[in-house]
Amino acid sequence: MIETWNLLLGGFGTALQPMNLMWAFVGCALGTAIGVLPGIGPALTVAMLLPVTAKVEPAGALIMLCGVYYGAAYGGSTTSILMNTPGESSSIMTALEGNAMAKHGRAGPALATAAIGSFIAGTIGVILLTLFAPLVADLALKFGPAEFFSLMVLAFVTVSSVLGSSMLRGMVSLALGLAIGLVGMDSIAGIPRYTAGVPELIDGIEFVLVAVGLFAVGEALYSVLYDPKGENTQRNKLTSVWMTKDDWKRSWPAWLRGTAIGFPFGSVPAGGAEIPTFLSYSAERKLSKFPREFSGEGGKGAIEGVAGPEAANNATAAGALVPLLTLGIPTSATAAILIAAFQNYNIQPGPLLFQTSGPLVWGLIASLYVGNVMLLVLNLPLVGMWARLLTIPKPQLYAGILVFASIGVYGMRQSAFDLVLMYVIGVIGVVMRRFDFPVAPVIVGMILGPMSEKQLRNALSIAQGDWLIFFKQPIACTFMVLTIAVMFIPIILRKRGVRLSEDD
Amino acid sequence: MQKRWQVGIATFILLLSIVFGVGASQMPSETGYAGIGAAFVPTVVTIFLAAVGALLMWQALSGGFRNFTDSVVGLAADNRGGLWVTGGILLMSLLITKAGFVVAATTLFVCVARGFGSKHTLRDAITGAALVFPVFWLFTLVLDVNLPRLFNDWL
Repeated sequence: MIETWNLLLGGFGTALQPMNLMWAFVGCALGTAIGVLPGIGPALTVAMLLPVTAKVEPAGALIMLCGVYYGAAYGGSTTSILMNTPGESSSIMTALEGNAMAKHGRAGPALATAAIGSFIAGTIGVILLTLFAPLVADLALKFGPAEFFSLMVLAFVTVSSVLGSSMLRGMVSLALGLAIGLVGMDSIAGIPRYTAGVPELIDGIEFVLVAVGLFAVGEALYSVLYDPKGENTQRNKLTSVWMTKDDWKRSWPAWLRGTAIGFPFGSVPAGGAEIPTFLSYSAERKLSKFPREFSGEGGKGAIEGVAGPEAANNATAAGALVPLLTLGIPTSATAAILIAAFQNYNIQPGPLLFQTSGPLVWGLIASLYVGNVMLLVLNLPLVGMWARLLTIPKPQLYAGILVFASIGVYGMRQSAFDLVLMYVIGVIGVVMRRFDFPVAPVIVGMILGPMSEKQLRNALSIAQGDWLIFFKQPIACTFMVLTIAVMFIPIILRKRGVRLSEDD
Repeated sequence: MQKRWQVGIATFILLLSIVFGVGASQMPSETGYAGIGAAFVPTVVTIFLAAVGALLMWQALSGGFRNFTDSVVGLAADNRGGLWVTGGILLMSLLITKAGFVVAATTLFVCVARGFGSKHTLRDAITGAALVFPVFWLFTLVLDVNLPRLFNDWL
């Protein structure tokens, strides 16, 4: 243990050199700036900035890229809260509550809780990474397709928390999302499904396009059709810029829970950042003392619903570095690109990394601590400025939102077809809003559907078609039992006359 | 009017389930070691769609969607505004390859602002361009994302 601290201290020696500090700052600033653009998530940001680092020496370059990684993960939350345009799947839950808060004049606290939550989760994540990396990596290796599939079944069940006021209409949205997720090339056998011969559809429908269409375009259209003067929202009235005492009290348990959910997910291969944010959101909703405030209940947006998922998202980002550094396994698209960056410098992440490039790795880990502080310092003062963006008059505000939305969608594939598709999905979004169909389950279905199909088919292939595999392996079985418990315990309790909360 | 819309939505979901069912039935039935093939999950989704579609239809026909209060009673849709926003997005998709990114995005900005009731078209055009230019430069010059240009490298 003492040896670890000495190595970490040595790492701080590297990270705190002025040049490396500057690279960390440049990385965080660039990552945040680009992460703010809708449609451009952390993976793309790191990939685009990879060539920029070519002229920098290895330690500086890797420190900068990690700054970009963290910055981009944070930047995405800003646009989700302010404009309802989630740029990557892990910001969907943030958009859901954060934008509801922004519309009711509380953009400041939403942004602040996201920034501080990211800092806390990131820091705890790095501490866990420092202490437990080898241990976590061992456990992570035990995860196979059967474990993932049962984990996703659990995620599906907890999705019920975003279903809104009617279970049936929520299910319709979920079914719609699952159906959209089927379009494109089948991931196991490579058979095109539901593409109707349109070549653009073989790659599937980008979830960013659907999210931006449903959230931003749908809302702009709905707003211009039914509320052009803005009488029904207080978007332009800023009630507070900073978090109140009550906001703090409600945020910190959510930050901690989000971190606890996010870190382990980041460290298992192929975990991804979506499921922990979904799970954290539903946990907050179940545990909240103010369930009526959640946007699904037509409330003003609950701060826990921003704090938890944002913390989970950033803890996942830190967790993803565990298998990356110790095993050389990328658990997300971003991590895969970071591996490419390592290899540029002839560094092979894996079990031997700590021996062969010890000083560099510890420098990197130390710079993560530094990067977290830097992000907070960089972003907290900006909260007031960002929040004031919403005081822009409605015509120009929505015009700006739609311009950004179309830039994001167009920038992905440079296809004008996508812009028309975005509009069509926006119209569907208006109908859904008009008839009170929740839009979040569409995205959830779109993301979880293809992921769980892949794991299901892989798991069954390995087990030669034996469906009991999900109950024969201990970890998978645990998740399945948990799923059954989550489904039936509320029903049993209600039958016995115990009321949990209004929406159970 | 309400009821017609609700029945329409339920019909749409049911039709979608038929389309997905037909698609699933045409997929190869090879299953490999897994015992399930490419058609398995599409079939499950089809059944799911059909089930929720049928329930929705039943609700629509028996007194309307449950737990649903129409939030816009008495508010007529502002169709002119809707047309401006629609026109803006479709114009952008048409203009972007013909007149370049900056012109297309600025047009979108002006149209949407107009749809929301702004009367200052010239001011909106200037604001829009001032917003679009820096983004355009960031994408094309720093990030190397190719956005359609007009005239030369700067526009």
